[in-house]
Amino acid sequence: MLVLHNARVEFGGHTVLRDVSFELPQGRTTVMIGRNGAGKTTTLRTIMGLLPLSAGRITIDGQDLAEVPDHGRAALGIGYAPEDRRMIPGFTVEENLLLPTLALKLDQSTTRERLGSVYELMPELRELSRRPGGSLSGGQGKMVALGRALMVATRVILLDEPFQGLAPALALNYARTLAKVRDQRKDLTLLVTESSPQLLGGVTDRALQIERGEVMETTLAEARH
Amino acid sequence: MDIIIPLLVDGLAAASLIFFIAVGLTLVFSVLRVLNVAHGSFYSIGAYVAVSIGGWAASAGLSPWLSFPILLISAALVAALLGPFIEATFIRYTYGKPEALQILVTFALFLIFEDLQKLVFGVQAHYQDAAMQVLGVSEIGGIIYLNYQLLLIALAVVVVVSLRLLMRHTRLGKLILAVVADPEVSVTLGINARQVYSIAFTIGVFLAALGGALATPTSGVAPGLGAEAIVLGFAVAAIGGLGQIEGAALAAVIVGLSRVIAIYYAPAFEPVMPYLVMLVVLLVRPYGLFGTAQARRI
Repeated sequence: MLVLHNARVEFGGHTVLRDVSFELPQGRTTVMIGRNGAGKTTTLRTIMGLLPLSAGRITIDGQDLAEVPDHGRAALGIGYAPEDRRMIPGFTVEENLLLPTLALKLDQSTTRERLGSVYELMPELRELSRRPGGSLSGGQGKMVALGRALMVATRVILLDEPFQGLAPALALNYARTLAKVRDQRKDLTLLVTESSPQLLGGVTDRALQIERGEVMETTLAEARH
Repeated sequence: MDIIIPLLVDGLAAASLIFFIAVGLTLVFSVLRVLNVAHGSFYSIGAYVAVSIGGWAASAGLSPWLSFPILLISAALVAALLGPFIEATFIRYTYGKPEALQILVTFALFLIFEDLQKLVFGVQAHYQDAAMQVLGVSEIGGIIYLNYQLLLIALAVVVVVSLRLLMRHTRLGKLILAVVADPEVSVTLGINARQVYSIAFTIGVFLAALGGALATPTSGVAPGLGAEAIVLGFAVAAIGGLGQIEGAALAAVIVGLSRVIAIYYAPAFEPVMPYLVMLVVLLVRPYGLFGTAQARRI
């Protein structure tokens, strides 16, 4: 279980997360809903150690993430797909997918197993595998970013606005893939941020509303209004 | 036509020494995004250490063939002692900061190193040419060349090829490329970017120190060598496109050849040739031969 205890983040004299507390129970899907600038991306970046906490704690199964270096999140099994895809342009799709296994020094059989399972979930990535990361369309990039996060994620996966900017057909395809992930990786904890959560109806267990850096529990039905 | 071969050999020999100065500078810039003025210090410290150990080996009566491992060990020693230490104590705090600050910090380091070198090695010039003597000379097309110069050309090629192999085909190389492309995403994928910066900086120090060490058998070392190296290194790195290793190699060849052509036809112009070439190249291609607008920071 990933828990935020009164997490506060400040930059440039402004408080962008105001003592945020919530739990992500293991094996559940949580969607975080909020307008642009409400603090969704900040929340995910803070969990990933990219932004420093000015107060509060973040723990995973009781372990304080403050004791883990920023690059240590991946070794703990926390996968992250940023909103803007962020492929390494000079690497092929497969090299992008394999990058975390290289960084984490995973052995060959684990690497093959993880890559196989990502290709099984997203067969279209196998077809793209030789393409350079810099040549992908927006929708393809989002899928590869999801695949790359899945290569890391054994416990938690954080997806930042995965549907942002996707054409409706691609968004539907992405949602189907997420449903498959949910179905096949029962232990995986999912946190998805979204400004329009309609597409997530099928897989969401609970919803959090974030507004001006403050988080409250809500329901999807409420969030739609 | 008779002049072509000596021109090429002389030009390439000059180019190889110039390349050793610029390649580490451009590598460090491409990974750390820091324009390291102190790079010139690592060059001259490499030279001083090589001359000192070489001088000790000669006075101890060791075989002159040992000069070659000594040159290499000197560079490795400088890199191991100074690379991780300087990165962790000074350079690290300038990442992502304005270029002016980075230049001030590394320039301050350069000045401190200059005085430390005078303190430790004195102000007189040092020579140690055992490596050059032991290799002898060759005759190409009726002209005598130092075999040591030919060795330098070969070594420069080895360095270009090794860096390319390192970057494209090793785990470390891939991690470095990932950090260069996107430090933040690299960290979220488990890459220890801090360690990658430290290693890349240390490789840069090694290349600088190796350049300095390799230059000593033919030119010795005296105060002011570091300043000469950094100015020339910047010019060559800028011509090639800052951050471009192959660009630095091509730029070194162009500058080396242009200097030699100047020596043959207009000797007075020889010292300004690198800067004339830089002027012309940057007027036509503001980001250098291999550079892109994005890669350029200053």
